Amino acid sequence: MRKTIDLERVPTLGSLYAKALGDRVKELLPGAKTSLLVLPEVSHRVAALRPDRDQLVAYQRLMGDTVREELPSVFVHGLVFPVAMSVLVRDDFPLPLLGMVHLANSVEHFRPISPSSELEVIAYATDLREHRSGTQLDMVAEVRQADELIWRGVSTYLARGVWLGSKPERVAVSHDEFVPPRRSASWSLAADTGRAYAAVMGDYNPIHLSALSAKALGMKRAIAHGMYLAGRTLASSAPHEGGYTWSIDFATPVFLPSRVDVSFIESVDSTRFCGWNAKSGKPHFSGTIQRL
Amino acid sequence: MSAQSDTPAIRQAVIIGGNRIPFARSNGAYAKASNQDMFTAALDGLVARFGLQGQRIGAVAGGAVLKHSKDFNLMRECVLGSSLASDTPAYDVQMACATGMEAIGSLANKIKLGQLDSGIGGGVDTTSDAPIAVSEGLRSMLLELSRARSTSAKLKAMSKFRPSFLAPNAPGTGEPRTGLSMGDHQALTTKAWNITREAQDELALASHKNLAAAYERHFFDDLITPFAGVSKDTNLRGDSTIEKLGSLKPVFGKSLGDAATMTAGNSTPLTDGASAVLLGSEAFARENDLPMLANFVDFEAAAVDFVHGAEGLLMAPAYAVARMLKRNNLTLQDFDFYEIHEAFAGTVLSTLAAWEDEEFCKNKLGLDAPLGAIDRSKLNVTGSSLAAGHPFAATGGRLVATLAKMLHEKGSGRGLISVCAAGGQGVVAILEAR
Amino acid sequence: MADKYLELVNSGFTKNLAKTLGLPRPSILRRYEPGAPLVPGPVLLLGGSPQAQNISDTLLGWGLDVRRHAVGEGKIGAIILLLDEVSTPGELSEPMLAAGHALRQLAPGGRVVSISRKALATDAPALTATRSGLQGSLRSLGRELRGGATANGVVLGERVDATAPSAIAAVRFLLSGRSAYVDGQFLEVDTTDGELPANFEKPLAGKVAVVTGAARGIGAAIAATLFRDGATVVVVDVPAAGDALAKVANQVAGTALQLDITRVDAGAVIIDHALARHGKLDIVVHNAGITRDKLLANMDAARWDSVIAVNIESQLRMNETFLGAELPGLRLVSLASTSGIAGNRGQTNYAASKAGVMGMVTASAQAFAASGGGINAVAPGFIETEMTAKIPVATRTVARMLMPSLMQGGLPLDVAEAIAFLASDAAGGINGQTLRVCGQSLVGA
Repeated sequence: MRKTIDLERVPTLGSLYAKALGDRVKELLPGAKTSLLVLPEVSHRVAALRPDRDQLVAYQRLMGDTVREELPSVFVHGLVFPVAMSVLVRDDFPLPLLGMVHLANSVEHFRPISPSSELEVIAYATDLREHRSGTQLDMVAEVRQADELIWRGVSTYLARGVWLGSKPERVAVSHDEFVPPRRSASWSLAADTGRAYAAVMGDYNPIHLSALSAKALGMKRAIAHGMYLAGRTLASSAPHEGGYTWSIDFATPVFLPSRVDVSFIESVDSTRFCGWNAKSGKPHFSGTIQRL
Repeated sequence: MSAQSDTPAIRQAVIIGGNRIPFARSNGAYAKASNQDMFTAALDGLVARFGLQGQRIGAVAGGAVLKHSKDFNLMRECVLGSSLASDTPAYDVQMACATGMEAIGSLANKIKLGQLDSGIGGGVDTTSDAPIAVSEGLRSMLLELSRARSTSAKLKAMSKFRPSFLAPNAPGTGEPRTGLSMGDHQALTTKAWNITREAQDELALASHKNLAAAYERHFFDDLITPFAGVSKDTNLRGDSTIEKLGSLKPVFGKSLGDAATMTAGNSTPLTDGASAVLLGSEAFARENDLPMLANFVDFEAAAVDFVHGAEGLLMAPAYAVARMLKRNNLTLQDFDFYEIHEAFAGTVLSTLAAWEDEEFCKNKLGLDAPLGAIDRSKLNVTGSSLAAGHPFAATGGRLVATLAKMLHEKGSGRGLISVCAAGGQGVVAILEAR
Repeated sequence: MADKYLELVNSGFTKNLAKTLGLPRPSILRRYEPGAPLVPGPVLLLGGSPQAQNISDTLLGWGLDVRRHAVGEGKIGAIILLLDEVSTPGELSEPMLAAGHALRQLAPGGRVVSISRKALATDAPALTATRSGLQGSLRSLGRELRGGATANGVVLGERVDATAPSAIAAVRFLLSGRSAYVDGQFLEVDTTDGELPANFEKPLAGKVAVVTGAARGIGAAIAATLFRDGATVVVVDVPAAGDALAKVANQVAGTALQLDITRVDAGAVIIDHALARHGKLDIVVHNAGITRDKLLANMDAARWDSVIAVNIESQLRMNETFLGAELPGLRLVSLASTSGIAGNRGQTNYAASKAGVMGMVTASAQAFAASGGGINAVAPGFIETEMTAKIPVATRTVARMLMPSLMQGGLPLDVAEAIAFLASDAAGGINGQTLRVCGQSLVGA
């Protein structure tokens, strides 16, 4: 049973990044952290989160969505993300936050959520496991309204080059060559896409902000926020009348500026989507939206 | 059957005639003309043709796709600047490229219902004098500034200014929900229906030849009034050849590689222009000694889901026609003329292919049998948008007036109009000769 | 386009300067305005014809102050010389000298109008000499008049007397401001046909008129004048001039017909339009015309042929159609030109077409009379239009001033007034004639 730690309020991402950066520096100091890879048995909780309406409108405008009385699923993710982050930057958290790669998201959005709701948010880390390039884990966030679970998101992260046991044999992974399907849309992503997202959601992760700040963290240019890509996708395809689940897997980063071609293939209850680089044809992301 | 019926006898809505200004390629002859200038000229030409000076018309309806915010009452302003009586009411309509059709169709309905005795429908568009908006950043800042009460709040608002705000925002022809241009959308459809480059070029060539021939036989003498020194559509290339068209490089669907077939020659260029059509009840026409060219029999709108790729952006007319034929108990072959708006040659050919396709007609249109092929010699016989150009909202008026005159010349029969529009929409109509 | 010289010498300082320097001072002409007096003063009726009483009664009926003898010192508005009965040259003496005596009293914009009989080759030499002589004398008198006054005459045919409707109408036209730029001309009335209008301010009420070449210049003025006089007007011009044509149509509450009149079916298109839209066709004004000037030595076929095709061949072809349609009472007026009378350097093609028009109306008169109508021509002299505005200033000033007695160019309106008169039912007794509107000039464009 995890121990629940109540946070007074949702922490700011800036303070969390600052802590993560400090931890990174500490790691570099001799004899710092032991490499015992065990996840802390805690949940972080914010008991009463009230969505900000101005922020909601700004988000809906940014994604080209209609402003309506409903929290978009990716917006909810943005609201709870700092709570999850606060778990990741705990001193007893075994993996370095900075440099972790966001692999996938899977969300259950059980019913439409009103912007006037008072939300309880609980976040914890789980399922530490091997990945061919290191170690991965799931960050789970749950959103409840009056004890009813209305939103549950699982974000999968990879700590590259960190191994649970001994480094495994390099297995040759066969990649099916990606053939772009018929495109349904084309997004022109400007160089300031990352800054625009940060301005709305407060996520000032340097790898999204500018080419310079991204380079400082080893990226060749700024990359689009994965949740921005998911947000654009859901803005065009998420249902509004009932519950649904959605998941997205990220293949390669979208370097800004960029043109991303997108395909939506609809069937009765679901929409499959994928996005790829309009020039090179390299896949960026793919996923599904499934009605409940 | 007894004579009793639930529906009262409905009046005919008659097309009396039309007028347009010649269409001019964007940033050409009409570069300095506004939507209001052009539609007023089209109205005045119509007034002159039919002697409507000082008359109160039931309503003037129309619109523009690209519109300045100051043109919120465009049609009314045009009426006030025209030779019509100033107590003629007017309203704006906007349905992308189907604006003109929707305006004319709705007036026809009002005439049929006895609500109006006369109406003028049409549209206008300029891509030369297009509205340019300030950037979203500057707009937000200015709005915040206007809301700010205190000096400090004002300064705070102004502190948000960034030099990049000064870059203006011109309207694009891209679909808002997909970011794809109309041409790139059509390229997907063109490929899906396996429409060849040759077939598209042939259709484009026919459009130019037919339009040139129609001018040659004075067909447009009572359909067009010159404007700004232009007396013929400036996009018309009567001397074009299949070789010239064949030498052009693809401009749309370039991501399709070798499968790209859509060139500047078989796609409609951006165009400026205006058109207006005069409709009335039979009594109105008779009382005013006005000609009756054709009856506006029926019209139908359709829309498709292009956002998620279920259907091509410009395929809605294929659906609308099926529904309208059923309602009127007609087959696709029951027409003497087909006016299918040539947004792109590929649009026309994809639509025709869809009507001939058993699977499409069964699965998408819910029909037992395909609508079938049409006699191609009846298609766009006096040219269409590929040659004349396509000032979005003005195309409906051009088509209705042209078809009405052709039917009247023939003296019998029916004509079908099909217009596709942005947003996955389309409006189709049936006219009947008088 | 405005005649600046005319304005300058008639106002303020420049007027006095012009006087001092002895520069010619053309007068501002008295033009027709609805509601204005017919003539600017009493009418002096001279001549001892038995018709004098009838004429006098008619003039009185129009509300004019009619005098049979010159009296007092006051201004008179017009002198009418009723000389239909003179038969020897000697008989001209008394009325002409009486007229001369009264000339000093003639008001600015005054009129001298003679009523006489046609000089025929078949009459006694003395009679014909007398009648011819009178015309020569009156033309000379025209050149002596100043202040915008004019001298013109009505010439009666063999079986027509001075009270014939068209004679009366012609007298009224010549007295009025409608004939402002008509000077030294004679209108022949050959029949007693014609009907005076119920309302002289709306002489074309109820008529449907077609004007070709109506998009601008003289054609637009004709359309405006016919509309003012009560007609419903169909304005015609080539499709390329459609925008200007629409403006004219909307100004005259008429309908615009974009039509190239050189089309073989042009006449039929015009008839169809007029009948379908307005129920009938009463008046056709063949105004459309082009110039393609070049010395004959340098003339090419394109210039020559296009002028002939537009200015005369089209009219001949349309007239055939109109005759075939047997439109009752159809009156036509064609635009000729003084170039076709006196000739004009560089206009061999144009003059051929315009002299051709005069020949055409002569030869068509009888055919149109058969269905109760008629055909006449108007030959303008130097008219201030967009076309003549292109002539260099010096040439233009000389052209408008030196030759005509009225020392100025005419306005499109002046031509239009003559056309409106000839197109009216009142002119029914006038057929096959060409009336010059030239300010008594010999050259024109």
